[in-house]
Amino acid sequence: MTLKYAYHSAIAGIGATPFTKDSGRTPMDQAVEACLAACEDAGLPPEKVNGFVTYSAEQNPEIELARNLGVEEMTHFSMVHHGGGAACGVIAVACQAIYSGAADYVLCYRAFNERSWHRFGAGVQDRPAGAEASEVSFSWSSPFGLVTPASWVAMFATRYMHEYGATTEDFGRVSVVDRDFAATNPYAHFFQRPITLEDHQNSRWIVEPLRLLDCCQETDGAQALLVTTAERAKDLKQKPAVIASAAQGAAEDQHMMRSYYRDSITGIPEMGLCARQLYQSSGLSADDIQTAIIYDHFTPLVLPQLEEFGFCDRGEAKDFIRDGHLQRDGRLPINTNGGQLGEAYIHGLNGIAEGVRQIRGTSVNQIENVENVLATAGTAVPTSALILSQPQ
Amino acid sequence: MSEVMTDEQKEAFVAKLRKEVGSTGTPSTARDPVNQPMIRHWCDAMEDANPLYTDPDAATQGPHGEIVAPPAMLNAWTMPGNIPRVNDPQDPASGVYAMLDEAGYVGVVATNSEHVYHRYLKLGDRLTGTVKLVDVTEEKQTALGIGHFVTTETEYLNQHGEHVGSMFFRILKFRPGTGRTASSDGDAAAERPPRPRPSRNQDTDFFWQGSRVGELRIQQCQNCGYLQHPPGTRCPACGSTDMGYITASGEGTLYSYVVSHHPRVPSFDYPLNIGLVELEEGVRLVTNITDCDPDQLKVGMPLRAWHMQTHEDVSLPVFRPARVPRNPSTLTFDEVSVGDELPLCPIPLTPTLIVSTAIASRDYQDVHHDRDMALKKGSEDIFMNILTSSGLSARYIGDWAGPDAVFKNLKIRLGAPNYPYDCMTMSGSVTAKREADGEDIVEVSFRGQNSRGPHVTGTVDLALPRA
Repeated sequence: MTLKYAYHSAIAGIGATPFTKDSGRTPMDQAVEACLAACEDAGLPPEKVNGFVTYSAEQNPEIELARNLGVEEMTHFSMVHHGGGAACGVIAVACQAIYSGAADYVLCYRAFNERSWHRFGAGVQDRPAGAEASEVSFSWSSPFGLVTPASWVAMFATRYMHEYGATTEDFGRVSVVDRDFAATNPYAHFFQRPITLEDHQNSRWIVEPLRLLDCCQETDGAQALLVTTAERAKDLKQKPAVIASAAQGAAEDQHMMRSYYRDSITGIPEMGLCARQLYQSSGLSADDIQTAIIYDHFTPLVLPQLEEFGFCDRGEAKDFIRDGHLQRDGRLPINTNGGQLGEAYIHGLNGIAEGVRQIRGTSVNQIENVENVLATAGTAVPTSALILSQPQ
Repeated sequence: MSEVMTDEQKEAFVAKLRKEVGSTGTPSTARDPVNQPMIRHWCDAMEDANPLYTDPDAATQGPHGEIVAPPAMLNAWTMPGNIPRVNDPQDPASGVYAMLDEAGYVGVVATNSEHVYHRYLKLGDRLTGTVKLVDVTEEKQTALGIGHFVTTETEYLNQHGEHVGSMFFRILKFRPGTGRTASSDGDAAAERPPRPRPSRNQDTDFFWQGSRVGELRIQQCQNCGYLQHPPGTRCPACGSTDMGYITASGEGTLYSYVVSHHPRVPSFDYPLNIGLVELEEGVRLVTNITDCDPDQLKVGMPLRAWHMQTHEDVSLPVFRPARVPRNPSTLTFDEVSVGDELPLCPIPLTPTLIVSTAIASRDYQDVHHDRDMALKKGSEDIFMNILTSSGLSARYIGDWAGPDAVFKNLKIRLGAPNYPYDCMTMSGSVTAKREADGEDIVEVSFRGQNSRGPHVTGTVDLALPRA
């Protein structure tokens, strides 16, 4: 099996609302603003869009969005499963639709008030009991109080620490990197508010071994990305960010956030599956990546992602991080927008927009000589990843 | 006599109580010599399997050369048994208890016991105890009620006049019903919503039916024997749809864990220990680790399942630290370092344990076996007697150190009562090593914690063999 759509499509436009804690607006209103901004960025009239891809937990139907945008006919529309795990999956599906000829211009979007309306971090405590498989799966954790995303991830983190000698300070170093980039990003919630490792260590426990500063924000806002062929993108306003490849992955004995029953729980095999597909189809390797957006809903799972993509050996991410390789002048600066801890938590889509800016050379924290950018999606769920490249 | 006293009356009352402080009472001689049946009864009730107490062959090989009594039994030998108590007004301590009873301080709990062992008791030793009244405090407000602490010191001699041991002992005599009212925590617990109810269907009912009857059931393929959790509808190993289950032993180890602090769901107590337990059969499950402080959790620790009822028709399999088997050999002085931690040991507080140990220690106080009387005297239920707290502490330390460790003393202080259906988890660490009088002494500090807080804290000095 090999992905046939490598280098075929590109991200031609990016658009977002301000990222806030209380938007005072509906998510639909913000979705429309972000989509219009993405079209405006690309210089494409919105009525030319004929495909929409979003991902589960999205509450703004694409048909209503199309109506608001003045889109009359749609030939591709899909919803990718598994929330933040699908952040790059929506791009993969857009590539598939475009490569197959099902659509010409596809908007991928996310919009919500997950701070001022329903707080995402509250978890599944209010989920009613039922007999469907999706409901029954929570019975193996919720009755014991393991009900929040932070708690699901913490279980992996404890075992990772035990096996590899990583410490909560190693998690904190990821947080410090994110907040350092956020401090110089005017769009970031934590603009001009960097933290020290000491701040991290002094922040309160959420679910041990996770502290407050290991957890991403909850945000009100919207982000949209416009995908079309790399060929058509050349005729639009911006330098295209070519999608070298985009892939999804779910691995053996996969569970939603709680794949605790595998022989080992310190790796992320579904991310390894994405890495293999990306590298094979694009012909690229870890050495070709200058900067990356590593999904950071919770800092501990940044470490095994670095290992799955081959930036360091298994269990050695802590050393890679201690050596400063994720920082501004490091081997692999990550999350140059401030990540989801520093900028905003738009379920990974704002990170992909930052990847596009790194290709364009317009990031507020621009890395020099960027040829290829890796972006990953939510971990512990079935996931996805992509590589953006300079146009040839 | 139980009306509220004026300050002047209180002062006069305390002066009266203290009149005999420093005086020694009439020696009291044990009705029976140290004997094997009482020792065996004690060991059975305490689950203390040290062979030096009951096995003549092992005892001959041991450091004492013959059967000895568990040292913590020191004051059991002279206990009066189940005969009506007549407080002797001529006796300094007994007289104080009588005065306090008469004044309405009828509630009684022991708070401190400090044994010193000069030599272990052997079969045939006949003890005589002489009690000195050491102190009576002013009236104090305690969690249990308003009362006075009374301190005594007892010297024990055998029939040859040998000084075999001594006991420093403190009790609280209090007025029932004058304690601090139920804490707001208690009210919250009463109004606590139930935990999230497990969703279930035909594929998973066997698991919940099992936990309802105290069985931890793990799905097993009936064709190839493959075990899996959570359950599925088809065997991932062989493809068979003939799925059954086995009943797991309940033994496991902690594979990973978290301690949840925020957000707080009202159904749970926080911080909340949640573990990923690997069963000895090889599968894992998410569960709670109970009867264990968050900082006592360690990957790899041995655990044992129990079932916690959360709804009328739902019980959850949860785990607590497993009791580590008794050490059959004895630690040497050189093997032990300051800072060494003793393995955790849970002691489920069944009514049987509380009642049988009270009787085995010849403590017939009704509050230790008669719930109606316990309630009447201001307690929530029957509760464990202090001799048992000593006995279980000694068992815990002895099971770690080994049969030949010699107790030089055993000092405990009680806190939260041990009520039935709770669990007390023992923990301890080595806090000092020294040579004294030609012996190699190791000091162990220990604690027994129940759901309300520390029940017992204490220290013990053990003489260990050099090599």
